[in-house]
Amino acid sequence: MEQKFKRNFDEIKNIVAMTEAFFRQEGLPAGLRTVVDLATEELFVNMVTYNTESNEDILIRMMPHEHGIEVSLTDYNVDRFDPTNAAAVDVDAPLEERTPGGLGLYLVMKMVDSIHYEYRNRKSKITFIVDRE
Amino acid sequence: MFEIEFTAGDHIAVAGRLDAAQAVKAQEFLDRVDGQCVLDLAELEYISSAGLGVLLKTHKRLMGSGSGIKLVNVNHHIHDIFRYSGFDKLFEIVPATG
Repeated sequence: MEQKFKRNFDEIKNIVAMTEAFFRQEGLPAGLRTVVDLATEELFVNMVTYNTESNEDILIRMMPHEHGIEVSLTDYNVDRFDPTNAAAVDVDAPLEERTPGGLGLYLVMKMVDSIHYEYRNRKSKITFIVDRE
Repeated sequence: MFEIEFTAGDHIAVAGRLDAAQAVKAQEFLDRVDGQCVLDLAELEYISSAGLGVLLKTHKRLMGSGSGIKLVNVNHHIHDIFRYSGFDKLFEIVPATG
């Protein structure tokens, strides 16, 4: 299943609808939803927020995987940005030192089972896998 | 769907999905809160980093005046996200029962 989305946070509800449809179609366990929803939203939001030079839609593709689900997000006509190299977040820092910055990508790296980044011809593609529990 | 509203006293009920599209609505509501408050998350289905940022910003503001946010009825999916974020060390969290 694949679908293109405008570069707008209002599209998040449509991404959730696509994910619901894919889980229903493939009979995937509901327990995987939180991680899939979170990783997909965080990566989409990151593309919308930082790849501001592009006006092209973002492609999201969901596929069944041997052990769960594979999701890829592709952004077109953008500079290279590998989210797997994002700066670490000190989650043990005291409240006065904590800021929200970087937390989204940090959570993605912590919660998905594998993640892979490709960049070619100004096309930025990130793919993650979430295994069944 | 996302809803946030005062229930009784210092209690605020939060329901639905607190994602990047809803974070502004949540922040505008919580910016009006003054003093200690209890967020009842029994009906909160999902939270992303945008929602975590709203909680963090509000908690820091309130802690600056000697109060803060207490999170109650936190289901295990939401609690996992709080734990990975280190929020379990920053907030008083009461898990949902059952």
